[in-house]
Amino acid sequence: MIEDKLLIFRFKQASEIALTRIYQKYKDDLLRLATALLNNNALAEDVVHDCFIVFARSADKLKLTGNLKGYLVTSVANRARNLNKEENVRKTDSLDEALTIEAKTPRPQQWIIYSEQLRDINRALSQLPYDQREVVTLHINGKMKFKTIAKLQNVSINTAQSRYRYGLDKLRQLLDNEAEK
Amino acid sequence: MNPNKKIKKLIANTKIDTNAQTNKTVLNDTLRALAESKQKPANQPNIRRIIMRSKITKIAAAAVILIAILAGVTFLNKSVTPAYAIEQTIEVIKNVRFMHVIKQDDNGQLIDERWIEIDSEGIQARYRQNTPGRIFVVDDRETVYAHYKDKDTVVLYDPNDHSYTWIHNLRVFFDDLAAKESIIEEYTDYKGRLLHHVRWSPLDTEAYIDPASKLPVIIFDYEISYEEPPEGIFDIPIAPEGVAFFDKRATAPKEDQPEWMNQDEIADKQFTQARKKLSEEKYADAAELFESVVAIQPMRNWAWYWLGRAHHELQDYDAAIEAYSKFTISSYVHYARGLTYIAKGMEENARDDFAKALPSMIRSLRNIKSAHLFDAADDPQDRGRNSGDEKKRRFNMIERLRLAADQNFGYDPELSFEGNEAAISAWEQWWQENALEYGVNEP
Repeated sequence: MIEDKLLIFRFKQASEIALTRIYQKYKDDLLRLATALLNNNALAEDVVHDCFIVFARSADKLKLTGNLKGYLVTSVANRARNLNKEENVRKTDSLDEALTIEAKTPRPQQWIIYSEQLRDINRALSQLPYDQREVVTLHINGKMKFKTIAKLQNVSINTAQSRYRYGLDKLRQLLDNEAEK
Repeated sequence: MNPNKKIKKLIANTKIDTNAQTNKTVLNDTLRALAESKQKPANQPNIRRIIMRSKITKIAAAAVILIAILAGVTFLNKSVTPAYAIEQTIEVIKNVRFMHVIKQDDNGQLIDERWIEIDSEGIQARYRQNTPGRIFVVDDRETVYAHYKDKDTVVLYDPNDHSYTWIHNLRVFFDDLAAKESIIEEYTDYKGRLLHHVRWSPLDTEAYIDPASKLPVIIFDYEISYEEPPEGIFDIPIAPEGVAFFDKRATAPKEDQPEWMNQDEIADKQFTQARKKLSEEKYADAAELFESVVAIQPMRNWAWYWLGRAHHELQDYDAAIEAYSKFTISSYVHYARGLTYIAKGMEENARDDFAKALPSMIRSLRNIKSAHLFDAADDPQDRGRNSGDEKKRRFNMIERLRLAADQNFGYDPELSFEGNEAAISAWEQWWQENALEYGVNEP
């Protein structure tokens, strides 16, 4: 997109206006992605906050070969995956735990305001194995191609696509069950 | 709606709300980080100056500055007019006098290199081609020198008798594309270069345009530049020592040509006979003749293709697949082989082949000229007979799609293109929804 090219150009010139525009344009997408991946809004907010800080510090050495959104999405995905590996995220075994986590870790300034729909979707996503959750959210929310996701996950494209299919099938079952309640 | 599509839509459309105060706080943190990064230590070299020494960076920066200047007043206005249109190329191509065309493999090894002189009418004039291992040609418009590497023979021809062409008429080539190109992405990164990525529907191919010169720099996996060639590049060389030599020009003394040239002429005659046999449905005769042709000319792709067709009609499906597999770079070959796999009951293999054919087949419904190879493949005797009859050609493509996809969306051959809009859209919609099933990431 021309606008993004211009934003990157000006951002690399340390333009505050450009950085503000980048932040406003992509923060919601990145937050949605992070909450879907981590199902812990405190951690998700930290991930996105860190992502923007690091991005801001990279102005003079940024080398963007892909698109800007893809770059930021990859940054969030990498951080979320690292957090997941460190097992700082408690896997929600029961549907009630998602709410419990939220209640037990109040933030002085909560960033994300959860809607009922967002809560339902994230709850369903949390039931998926991380790899499936990652493929589904990166493809749908991150608009990433399977080829890129496969590279990120270090698997073949077929595996990435299979994870996507299984993930969607499971989500369909979970969300249909929710609708019936 | 497909159930998984519903879920996808639900996830994609779920909105997120954020606390306004926290938004401001995080933004302030971010801007503070930017401000801190601006303060560099005194003894650090100026990174910007170092980066700007690189030619590619200079070009990229110049291109981006150009974008900034052109788009400056419309920065926050979403209605930016496109920076490129094919008409710009058509205009500048009139001034092109030389083309340097290179194709390399993934390891940087040369596959093909050509120098082409273009005359004032846009027509190819002098020519030089080096395809390592296959052929080396120089044409100075008075003599054509061809060194056939596999035959270890140099042959001289009269240009009117035998010539090699990359693009016969450059201006006509681009005029044909006028108003038929679509821009995929402007100013996209291609191997470190900032280029316009475009699709040329009539050719069903993609290309990259240099934003500054408006000239194409990547077409059909070839890299193109327009500099003047080195001195003497079109001079007819002296044949290397040890290779056979034959002068076939009209003014040359008469002598027997090499046996392989006799064989080539035999193969050409047999090729013509074989096509006739195929169109007369005399498949066994056609197969025998095509076998003979490919034995002499193993690089003759159409001979392999129609050999495959003949075998398919004879229900020798293994032989058909083997013939088709000699070269599978084109959609129509994938389609034909897919049908043969279906006949053999090998659904998985068929699907893989159809996955490679279906995108261009469906695209051709809106630009039927891009289906010319499918039409040629179906008509061995009179290639191009259907050209111009767009209704029939479009219906033929619909029939092929029905066979490949086992779907029918009610196309009426009696109606016009506009009258069949619903059916065409239905095919496009079907592909959007089912591409993943065929293993295609992005329909």
